[in-house]
Amino acid sequence: MGLSLGLDIAVKALRAHQLAVDVASHNIANVQSPGFSRQRVLLRPIGMDGSDHFSRDALLGRTGFGVDASDVNRVRDLFLDFQARQTMSSRGEYGSFSQPLSQAEVVFNDPSDDGISNLLGKFWAAWHDVVNDPESSAARTSLVHATTTLTSRLQTANAELTQQRADLNFQVGSIADQINGKAEELARLNLQVKQVELSGDKANDLRDRRDLLLDDLSKLGDIHYVEQPDTSVSVYLGSHELVVGTAARTVNQVQDPAQPGMTKLVYALDGDDVSVSSGQLKGVLDARDVALPDLLAKLNTFASGLIGSINTIHQAGFGLDNSTGLQFLTGTDASTIALNSVLAGSPQSIAAASGANKAGDGSIALAIANLQIAPTMIAGAAAANLVVNESLSAGNTATGLSISPTLQPGSYFITSPAPGTLELRYGSAAGAVVGTATLAPIGPGSGAITFVNGATTVATINVAAGGLYTAAQQEADLTAAGNNVISVQAAPGAYYDNIVSVLGADVNRARGLAESSGMLNDHLENMRQAVSGVNLDEEVTNLNASQKAYQAAARVITTIDEMLDTLINRTGVVGR
Amino acid sequence: MRLSEQSRLNSQISYLSQATERMDTIQRQLSTNKKIQRASDDPSGTAQSLRYREDIAFEAQMRRNVENGTAFLNVTESALSGATDLLQRARELTVQASNGTLGAQEKAGVGTEIDQILQQMAQIGNTKFGDAYIFSGHQTQQPAYVVTGQPPTVINYQGDTGQRVRRISQQDTVSSNVIGSDAFGNIMNQLISLRDNLKNGAPATTINPSLADIDTALNNVLNVRADVGARLNRFEATSSRSADKDINLQEMRAGIEDIDLAETIVSMTAQQNALQAALGAIGRTSNMSLLNFLR
Repeated sequence: MGLSLGLDIAVKALRAHQLAVDVASHNIANVQSPGFSRQRVLLRPIGMDGSDHFSRDALLGRTGFGVDASDVNRVRDLFLDFQARQTMSSRGEYGSFSQPLSQAEVVFNDPSDDGISNLLGKFWAAWHDVVNDPESSAARTSLVHATTTLTSRLQTANAELTQQRADLNFQVGSIADQINGKAEELARLNLQVKQVELSGDKANDLRDRRDLLLDDLSKLGDIHYVEQPDTSVSVYLGSHELVVGTAARTVNQVQDPAQPGMTKLVYALDGDDVSVSSGQLKGVLDARDVALPDLLAKLNTFASGLIGSINTIHQAGFGLDNSTGLQFLTGTDASTIALNSVLAGSPQSIAAASGANKAGDGSIALAIANLQIAPTMIAGAAAANLVVNESLSAGNTATGLSISPTLQPGSYFITSPAPGTLELRYGSAAGAVVGTATLAPIGPGSGAITFVNGATTVATINVAAGGLYTAAQQEADLTAAGNNVISVQAAPGAYYDNIVSVLGADVNRARGLAESSGMLNDHLENMRQAVSGVNLDEEVTNLNASQKAYQAAARVITTIDEMLDTLINRTGVVGR
Repeated sequence: MRLSEQSRLNSQISYLSQATERMDTIQRQLSTNKKIQRASDDPSGTAQSLRYREDIAFEAQMRRNVENGTAFLNVTESALSGATDLLQRARELTVQASNGTLGAQEKAGVGTEIDQILQQMAQIGNTKFGDAYIFSGHQTQQPAYVVTGQPPTVINYQGDTGQRVRRISQQDTVSSNVIGSDAFGNIMNQLISLRDNLKNGAPATTINPSLADIDTALNNVLNVRADVGARLNRFEATSSRSADKDINLQEMRAGIEDIDLAETIVSMTAQQNALQAALGAIGRTSNMSLLNFLR
């Protein structure tokens, strides 16, 4: 073969190590590029594996043909990718769920000196001041102020929570835009990777970019993906395909008929609902559709409980000006609760007295102030409930309900163990008996059905009968569906405390989940970096090694050159 | 494990942000003196602290109710004490007039003094506290007694029997007023007829029964005063019990909400050291590179 083979090997070596220097340079250049995986030149000796052409010298035996450096590979662990993306989904979900919940906590701002709890306390205190001095217009005016402060605070809390839902709804739209944008780019990359790799080259940087998009999509929703034999990656979002080959499907944001004012995401192709089990989309939807509505519902129950229980008492009372039958609070829930504007304009109409011309009587005000320490009825509760002024049967009406403070909050069911007897059971129709009532005919006129436990009265239902209201009819009416449940709500303060502490526990848990999934994700990111990340010391070492190898290969050329010189110019000169 | 430049950077950032976040939490606790900033800092503690805060406010209002009621009853008591004095003077005069030694002129003089006494009694019956006539029951916007004629010929009670009930504790409600007719009976009109008898120079046998009327009235007022005194004692006892309860509640609230200053400052120092160490370590390691040793 001769010396030209040596030159050929040396040239291959020069080229290979120059490539290695280029790759090291590329790695160093991308040391801070997100999603970049370090690349390695695959150096392979030629001629030693039997498949390549090789030289065989009769005397020297078999030698190699030098080094081959055609392949530049990404260093990457696909299984780590898979694991890391799962933790990204969880991190995205809990992160975007805990954030709005933390904001909701700020809305309530309790425990503090200016939270709703404190305003509620001032409200009750103002009622006591009216009890102390029913004639005093100063006490009445400060009750008006305490009430408007409380109601406007409740309205604000409601408005802020509602606004948060609207913000989250906007976020759903922005997530949809991101999903669509990333799906489109992924489809485009599928095409580009295919084009590059069809020609036998490696599309390392395009693949890095594609993997980064898969990371991003994982943060948004739960995606599944699979690399097809044609190098394209198919992506599924929830149940449907998002990217197939070089085609991207989109998701659309449409009005949700089930939730006025809110939107939902559907697959553009067939209009099916997008349903995801993790990722930011899941977190945002959970907050928007579950956590915040739940909070709003509780706040509304609290407000409507206040409205109902206070009004029932207040309407029976008389003001200093002998006005009567006035609501103290108007509105139906936290969004509309307000002091009756008539009372705001004339505090002397606040009904503190039990009758007309009783300026010194604060007994109605005292009954209202007592609501602070007694469980009350849920006003406007579920349809199954017995409520005040409910018609029981033709001509017979429930005109009042009173509950002993000893009854714990919850639902109480009316059942009949035997004709002429009623039982009040806690929790369900088969629950523990808390009181029994012996029925007697009522009317015409008013009467009461009283549930007792031993000597204590636990509940009383006041009835106005049009004619003779027989025991059998009473039994039939009160055990009928629609009348057979009495709901007892915790005292307003305790009910509110519960809202705040349950919210606190929820925020705490959501934050904990966000933190732990974040830590897991960080850990897996570190493991990914351990495989794919660029280490400058390592690259510099490689650079050094390649430089030395390049220098040595160059020296080989010089050596062969000198050998040729010896052969051509110094041999065969005998006798010259 | 291989460490990449990016993961080294990420770890440094996360160490620093964790350390500064912890510092921030401690600083916030120190500046607000509160362990619980948000319900999520301690959900079950929050429930307790809200409960304690409500109880504290409730007890404060109960003491306020007691204070207001005490003021009302104190005015009532001093009015009744005035009435006692007047009735005792009326008794002395009646005893003088009924022993048969006084002439018609002197009796008429006693009658004039009785007239003054009964007018003062009517004034006492119409005592006001703030905007309220205290002896009128619920009819506090009108005088308890209507005085007809000058000198008075009839003095009638026009209030009702309404009680001013207020809450003084979780369990108790107490009335803070005394009904005029309960306290004074019909003594005003009885004094009017005594005065008329004296002015007419009536004999001792006619005047004598008035002594029994005055004694009954005196007894009655003294009984009512004893009841007022009992109520005032009850107010005072309730108030001091509530004040004790307040101290307990404040302590329990502070135990849950407030920071332990010494402990927090110690942990702040520890956090400061940790942050400094982290910064120092980053400063030193980030300058370390193979490049510093290659030429």
